[in-house]
Amino acid sequence: MKRTILITAALIFLGMIANANNPRDIAEKASNSIGFTSMEMSSTLKIFDNKGNVRERQVAVATKKFGDTYKTMIRFLAPADVKGTSMLIFDYEEKGDDMWIYMPSMRKTRRIVSSEKGRSFMGSEFTNANMSKPNFDDFNYSTIGTETIDGKEFWKIESICKTESIADEYGYSKQVAYIEKLSYLTHKVEYYDRYNELQKIMTISDFRKQSNGVYFAYYMEMNNVQNGRKSVMTVNLFQLGSSLKETDFSTTSLEKM
Amino acid sequence: MKLKTFILKYRLWLIILPIAISLIMALPLKNARINPDLMEYLPEDIESKINMDKLEDVFGKYDPVIIIVEAEDILNQQTLERLYDINKKIKQSRELDDLISIFESKYIRGEDGMMLVDPVIGRVPKTEIDKELLRKQIKDNELAYKLLVSEDFRYTIFIVNIAEGVSDDVAINLIDKIINEFPGEEKFYLNGLPFLRDEIQSLATRDLAILFPLGMLIMIAFLYISFRQLRSVLLPFSVVLMSIIVSMGLMPLLGYELSMIAVLVPILMISIANNYGVHIVARYQEIRMHNPEWTMQQITAETISLLNVPIILTALTTIVGILGMAAHIMIPAKQMGIVSAVGIGFALLLSIFFIPALMSYMKKGNPKKYTNGGKSGIINKLLLWAGSITTASPRKVIIAFLLFFIISGIGISRLRVSINLESMLSSSHPMQQSTKIANEHFGGTKNLSVLFTGDIKSPEAMKNIEYFGDELEKIPLVKNVNSIAKVIKIISKALNDPGDEYYGIIPNNREAIAQYIEFYSMSGDPEDFERIVDFDYTKSLLNVQFKANDINDFYFVKNKIDELISQSEFAVLQSGQPMVEIEMAKAILAGQIYSLAFALFAILGLLWIIFRSIRAGLLGSLPLLMSIVCNFGLMGWLGIELDIATSLLSSIAVGIGVDYTIHLFWRLKQEIKNGSNITEAVKTTLSTTGRGITINAFSVIIGFSALFFSGLFILKTFAFLIIFSILVCLIGALILMPSICVISNPKFLK
Repeated sequence: MKRTILITAALIFLGMIANANNPRDIAEKASNSIGFTSMEMSSTLKIFDNKGNVRERQVAVATKKFGDTYKTMIRFLAPADVKGTSMLIFDYEEKGDDMWIYMPSMRKTRRIVSSEKGRSFMGSEFTNANMSKPNFDDFNYSTIGTETIDGKEFWKIESICKTESIADEYGYSKQVAYIEKLSYLTHKVEYYDRYNELQKIMTISDFRKQSNGVYFAYYMEMNNVQNGRKSVMTVNLFQLGSSLKETDFSTTSLEKM
Repeated sequence: MKLKTFILKYRLWLIILPIAISLIMALPLKNARINPDLMEYLPEDIESKINMDKLEDVFGKYDPVIIIVEAEDILNQQTLERLYDINKKIKQSRELDDLISIFESKYIRGEDGMMLVDPVIGRVPKTEIDKELLRKQIKDNELAYKLLVSEDFRYTIFIVNIAEGVSDDVAINLIDKIINEFPGEEKFYLNGLPFLRDEIQSLATRDLAILFPLGMLIMIAFLYISFRQLRSVLLPFSVVLMSIIVSMGLMPLLGYELSMIAVLVPILMISIANNYGVHIVARYQEIRMHNPEWTMQQITAETISLLNVPIILTALTTIVGILGMAAHIMIPAKQMGIVSAVGIGFALLLSIFFIPALMSYMKKGNPKKYTNGGKSGIINKLLLWAGSITTASPRKVIIAFLLFFIISGIGISRLRVSINLESMLSSSHPMQQSTKIANEHFGGTKNLSVLFTGDIKSPEAMKNIEYFGDELEKIPLVKNVNSIAKVIKIISKALNDPGDEYYGIIPNNREAIAQYIEFYSMSGDPEDFERIVDFDYTKSLLNVQFKANDINDFYFVKNKIDELISQSEFAVLQSGQPMVEIEMAKAILAGQIYSLAFALFAILGLLWIIFRSIRAGLLGSLPLLMSIVCNFGLMGWLGIELDIATSLLSSIAVGIGVDYTIHLFWRLKQEIKNGSNITEAVKTTLSTTGRGITINAFSVIIGFSALFFSGLFILKTFAFLIIFSILVCLIGALILMPSICVISNPKFLK
């Protein structure tokens, strides 16, 4: 009996170890380590072309989760010609996003319906898929190694899209994330195109611990190694939580902003 | 030292040296490659090419392949499923970029307060109702109807750019492979410059492999039939072979790439380089026949002393005529002129030194029946007839020629310069068929781009671009104008409701335009604009797609654009392949005039020097002038366009044709010197030297006739015309010239 308990305990313990090393669990934990249900921030998005020309956008963003739906409001602060242009995005768990845009020059709100996902975020090298949480069931996970960078230890977690149509949706066939063992923070992600060749490298840094104990990255850079373009997102101001009400995330308030 | 003494003294060296040179020159041939890029046939510094480079720097290289699909109804489920698979495969292949098709292009519209951006065909309709609904949608879609799908829904097109660093043949083979991977009843046609280049490349390579041996075989057969003696075949043949090696080997040595018309060089050599050898062999047979007791060395010495002057003179005039091509603007024509001239020069040296040196080692051989003044054989009969008609009724002959000359000459007014590159291929070639479909069912195959610079997002610039589009769309030839202004208007229709003040127009303020664009970058693919506007919206392209049947259509569109540019503060320049094609047409025409003028004047000068009489120059140039006029006249009457190949043939024909006159004058002079009067001299000359001239001309004609087996239509036409020109030169030399001489009895013959 004693032996049985011991064996069982050992098995449970082994199971726990296995669980801690389960690549999918690592990926989920890493994703949750930067999680929040609401926030407000202002950030700058710089889009570079392959000749070094730059386009700069400043936006104010507010996100809050209502039920299963993340609602996000994005307002352009600069450049002057698009200042005041605002977007409202409903990110549903189960179905595709709803998106509205308000154009101040015409005082008009229009809904955008696009059947394609995995597309560019505001004309940058980031895609909408890069900016939101993935559906973990869409991928097969494996740990392909560990690496030590600047004294920190990282898991290299590879996630491969289960089907071709999933790959089409996300815009990449697989990704390799460098997740720090200690903090579960993702510092780097390599994205591979449909031919399994490295296409983009995202580097994430300037993690700042928030009041709730989770971290938020203030700097994100996406390098497209195939076309030489680059986009950089820096957070200027960040505030965890939002005082906005659900009615503030509506098309009527979009026009009042 | 006399030439004959020199040759007999150093005869061994005169045999070894040319063989050694030929062997050495054969080495660089392995580095030769065919460059089918027609654009590279023009110098780099011409305006249209510089402008194209400017646009490429900003907007990237765009040199697409167009795939046209023919089906009973494009919207049939089976067809669409097949096309969907092909589309997917093309999109997945990294050798091919920037696919435009019904599955990739957008359907942007406003519906119930929404802007919707979808592919033209998102999913394949399974029912009749869905199919007809889709048909209606496509008819509403300005970005697809009549652009990607033909009006009758029987054709659709895929446009795909070849990725950088991928060669034409790799891309074309891949496209073929993808199409064949999904079998079906639909027909596929390819178009676009990469396809044309690939076709020319394979046809020219095939031509080089087939035409050269074929030409040689024909030549051997002809020589054998003419002389019925092995040595008389082998001697001229060895000259041809060695001079082909030297001229072709010279190309890679000088860093030239073989062009499509470089295929002509070996054929030109086969046709011309044996001439001198043929004359020597004919003379040898003649002397051998009349002097059975002479030794081979005596015969050789006599042949040299009798023939070296006319051979050198005829070779020089041919070289000069062919060098006329070096005055051409088209690079391959220049190169061909240079290497062919060197090759012929080499053939001349071989004929004077190598053949006699080799002959001197040979046994005498059996005398061949030399039919001097004989009654048998078509050639002899014709020559006798020529002799009697020119001496009996020279005036009638001249009048007949004059009439022929005038009637032909009228045809010149109908002569046109080719602007359609695909006309190099036969009319049954798939490229020609696809061009026909593109012209009938889509916006045509010609594209011009107008570059605008400035603040593209400003209403002023945007409205100016719109104005260009409106004005150009009024021209019936113009089938489609694509620009950022058009996209802004489509977005404005999707964002506003009919009746709104902003519906379907370019907004009056910069902010609204900027917000439209920002809006689109959220919903559509920002790369959708990359071909028409640059990253910071300071440069934009307006693309005009049109049909052009001839150069006048081209100029009509081009001039309209020039006029609009002169009134615009934003439009800077127009560019595009048709601009290069116009330059090419101009270069062909100007090159034709330069090379012909050069050849004619140089030959006139040479004749003047040779016979020490300007009259000889003028008179001797007459058959050439006649051949030129008749050639262009015939082209006009038959609707054959002046192209890169046909623009070369006159200088070649003149260079070859002048030989006949020189031989004629030379013999006439000899006969008169020997005491004959002009009538007797003409009769004797025609029945003796006339035979040599005729055999010579026919050997040239037969050499060129190998080109009828070319895969390139342009070279078949070339063969037809050059044969015609040479025949005119021949008839001119054998009938017109003697008639004029009989009437005028010129002093330079005395």
